[in-house]
Amino acid sequence: MRIRTVEISVGLFMLVGFAALIVLALNVSGLNLTPRAGGYTLYANFENIGGLTPRARVSMSGVQIGEVRAIRLDPQLLVAEVEMNIFADVDFISTDSSAMILTSGLLGQQYIGIIPGGDLDVLGDGDFIFNTQSALVLEDLVGKFLMNQVSE
Amino acid sequence: MLIDKIQRLGHRTLSRCAAFGRSGQILVQSIVARPAPLMMLPLLVKQIYFVGVLSLVIIVVSGAFIGMVLGLQGYTILVDYGSEQAVGQMVALSLLRELAPVVTALLFAGRAGSALTAEIGLMKATEQLASLEMIGVDPYRRIIAPRLYAGFICMPLLSMIFAVVGIWGAALVAVDWLGIHSGAYWANMQQAVDFRGDVINGLIKAVVFGFVVTWIAVYQGYDCVPTSEGISQATTRTVVYASLAVLGFDFVLTALMFGDF
Amino acid sequence: MVQEKPTGEVAALPLDDIIVEIKGMTFTRGSRKIFDDISLKIPRGKVTAIMGPSGTGKTTLLKLIGGQLRPDAGQILLEGQNIPTLNRRDLFIVREKMGMLFQSGALFTDMNVFDNVAFPIRVHTSIPEEMIRDIVLMKLHAVGLRGAVALMPSELSGGMARRVALARAISLDPDIVMYDEPFTGQDPIAMGVLVNLIKRLNQALGHTSIIVSHDIQETLSIADYIYVLSNGKVIAEGTPDVLKTQDSEQVRQFVDGLPDGPVPFHYPAPELMDELMAGGVFKC
Repeated sequence: MRIRTVEISVGLFMLVGFAALIVLALNVSGLNLTPRAGGYTLYANFENIGGLTPRARVSMSGVQIGEVRAIRLDPQLLVAEVEMNIFADVDFISTDSSAMILTSGLLGQQYIGIIPGGDLDVLGDGDFIFNTQSALVLEDLVGKFLMNQVSE
Repeated sequence: MLIDKIQRLGHRTLSRCAAFGRSGQILVQSIVARPAPLMMLPLLVKQIYFVGVLSLVIIVVSGAFIGMVLGLQGYTILVDYGSEQAVGQMVALSLLRELAPVVTALLFAGRAGSALTAEIGLMKATEQLASLEMIGVDPYRRIIAPRLYAGFICMPLLSMIFAVVGIWGAALVAVDWLGIHSGAYWANMQQAVDFRGDVINGLIKAVVFGFVVTWIAVYQGYDCVPTSEGISQATTRTVVYASLAVLGFDFVLTALMFGDF
Repeated sequence: MVQEKPTGEVAALPLDDIIVEIKGMTFTRGSRKIFDDISLKIPRGKVTAIMGPSGTGKTTLLKLIGGQLRPDAGQILLEGQNIPTLNRRDLFIVREKMGMLFQSGALFTDMNVFDNVAFPIRVHTSIPEEMIRDIVLMKLHAVGLRGAVALMPSELSGGMARRVALARAISLDPDIVMYDEPFTGQDPIAMGVLVNLIKRLNQALGHTSIIVSHDIQETLSIADYIYVLSNGKVIAEGTPDVLKTQDSEQVRQFVDGLPDGPVPFHYPAPELMDELMAGGVFKC
């Protein structure tokens, strides 16, 4: 009987350990085991992406509608080209929508916010969002502020 | 006088080398050269019980307290910058990358490592190891191998349990007591933590530490002077060497995983 | 290669049938010579005792025969096989023919008495459990501890632990049983029981017994043949009667238990008077 309690407790221990791994995977790292199937790709060019990274959130009105897939430098235009994967059920982004790089909180992660436009046509797979606003770069802001001070 | 000192230094260096060789021999004899037969399973279960299950209480309790302290400290520091929501991210990253594997390994060395050394040392002192050999059973295979495997298996599991309990403890402090929005706590954490980069790397650390600690513990037990004094010295050495090795390896692994070179 | 004994009168062996033969064996530990070119023969089916003062490496000799240690030179022949040259695998096979009773009993502390005795059987044979049960109970009955079958080693007295260990040592019916200081630290009753048991088992099972001991009376009462070791040499050998009449000083001191003799009472030191008169403070 003693050996059975040992076996049972070892079994429980192993289960708890693996449960911990699953909790870490799903709850802590937000690993998505079932990525939303499909979705479509949008592109946007930014003059400066700041600290944006792949897997960053793409949201509209604060609701996540996709994530950043890849970031490249466009060799002709010499600006950053961001590839975004938008969930398939979000098929109502109008062509005159604008994209901007935002920061969650003062020190938080950077993400892309999409502000919907009024056009009736909607963006499809592979389209570009032309209306973009770059990330706020603190140094630029400080520089502008100082210039204003001087000119006054 | 000087010659004498040099001579002693040389002697010590040589005996250290020999000790290292013997520890390698134990490792090779018990696992590399002889893959474990299935017969070992009951022995392994028993060792996992001693090494893992019995360490569970200390791991859970310390995990909870360390998480709570992190939550509290993180909050008081971050609130100055108005970004106290980032406490979840700070707690999760520091636990997953560093504290869970390292602290678990240190506790593991103190709890399980010293027990392993004392147990094997006692077996040596009471001639149980010699007796096994005379019965025609390889003590490496029968005594050492299951304990080594149990160490490899238990350390990562314990480390993950530690991390989960710690994150939960921090949530208790930050969300329930200090009033951070629970959505912000968890969402910030999920944003910041990468499964491959943080969880898996932490797990790799835990496996390496488990290997190092158990190896040292088993070697010290097997190589100790078979007297009560020798066993107590070997137990102390296990804790000291294992802790130092864990901290040293932690730096190397961190540099390899998170450093840019 | 075979060397004649350095001292003492050479008594004829009781039998020509030799199971273990040690030829010109030398063994050093550190810088100390434990055995210096010794040769001895152990007859089959008899009780052979190896005696000598503490620290003469009697236990080491058993470990050498069991192949746990390797000599620096010489041969240890077990039925013609040279033990030191065997590889690990063959050594384990040879050891199945040997049983060893360790000084402390060396029972496995995490198993009860039954599992301890059953252990060698389970490891080396695939006998079904019911039969193992019968064998174990028979062996335990032979040492008088059938009633203790379910106890843990920590619940046994020293003498009982040694008897269980004896049952374990004979569980596979070995050809050779080696006893390492079987009488040390036992009360007179347990000692008497063990003496009796060793003799009886030897006669009943017909194995060869090698006893390492410094308990003179007990050993003399059961041994068929005795070797006395001192300073790495065989200083005397023969049957108990021969040994009792030996007139070598070293043997006399050992057999009669005299406090002073060739083995001095005093650890080597300068003259007492000189040291006292020198004065000063004791420095360590």
